Amino acid sequence: MSQTPSQLPRRPLSPHLQIWRWHITMFSSIMHRVTGSASVAGAILIAAWLVALAMGREAYTCFLTLASSPLGLLVWFGLSLAGFVHLTGGLRHLIWDTGTGFEPKKADQIALWTMILGVVLTLAFWAVLFATGKVTLS
Amino acid sequence: MSDNRDVGAKSVKSWKKSEHHGAGEWLAERGTSLVLIPLTLWAAYAAYSIAGGGFDAAIAFARAPLNAGLIGLTMLISVWHMYMGVKVIIDDYLQGGLRGFSIFLTFLLSAALVLATGYALFVLHQGA
Repeated sequence: MSQTPSQLPRRPLSPHLQIWRWHITMFSSIMHRVTGSASVAGAILIAAWLVALAMGREAYTCFLTLASSPLGLLVWFGLSLAGFVHLTGGLRHLIWDTGTGFEPKKADQIALWTMILGVVLTLAFWAVLFATGKVTLS
Repeated sequence: MSDNRDVGAKSVKSWKKSEHHGAGEWLAERGTSLVLIPLTLWAAYAAYSIAGGGFDAAIAFARAPLNAGLIGLTMLISVWHMYMGVKVIIDDYLQGGLRGFSIFLTFLLSAALVLATGYALFVLHQGA
């Protein structure tokens, strides 16, 4: 406490993933970074979608052929999963930012249920897409 | 620039500076998160509404002024949020030149995404 800035030790880097004992709030925190990073790929693909659209019918049809192929759909599914889990994870962090929900039991429950909600939203989104026939596997 | 991971190398002046802009970054992270909740839900609804409609549905959607504005806004806020988030991860695990270079690359990607989106929206508007 009485140290002046020049006597402070070098700030360490964050602990690396392998030193943590597994617990759910640690898992949800890591998943928030993983889903956030994956969403960067989502932003790139959505920008690519818009650019293809601006380039005209031919370019857009080419984009759609890739995007609606089984592999393309798998990519969109993964990106939507990352997006929804990051969205509900963000909700969790906003709740914690208000200073509530930090009791270990409550924190565990918030971590668990926000992750489950993210998965449920993703499955519901795709269930609707397939049920309305807007997306088909062919 | 010396290795700015070395807290001891920071002057009183830079401590004062970070004392002021730290709150701004914290607020920007929360602010963009809050705004992105409705915007990304809108984007999911938009994806649903044009899915399966091919080129015609997509172009009609993107040329509507409200949609074009929301696409631009969603991309801009998302990229801002993304830049801050990726920078936090870089700050946690990288240092020295590699840290600076990674942040520079993240900035380039962010700028490219915003420029590409803006340009595409401009072209779509011109063709309307």
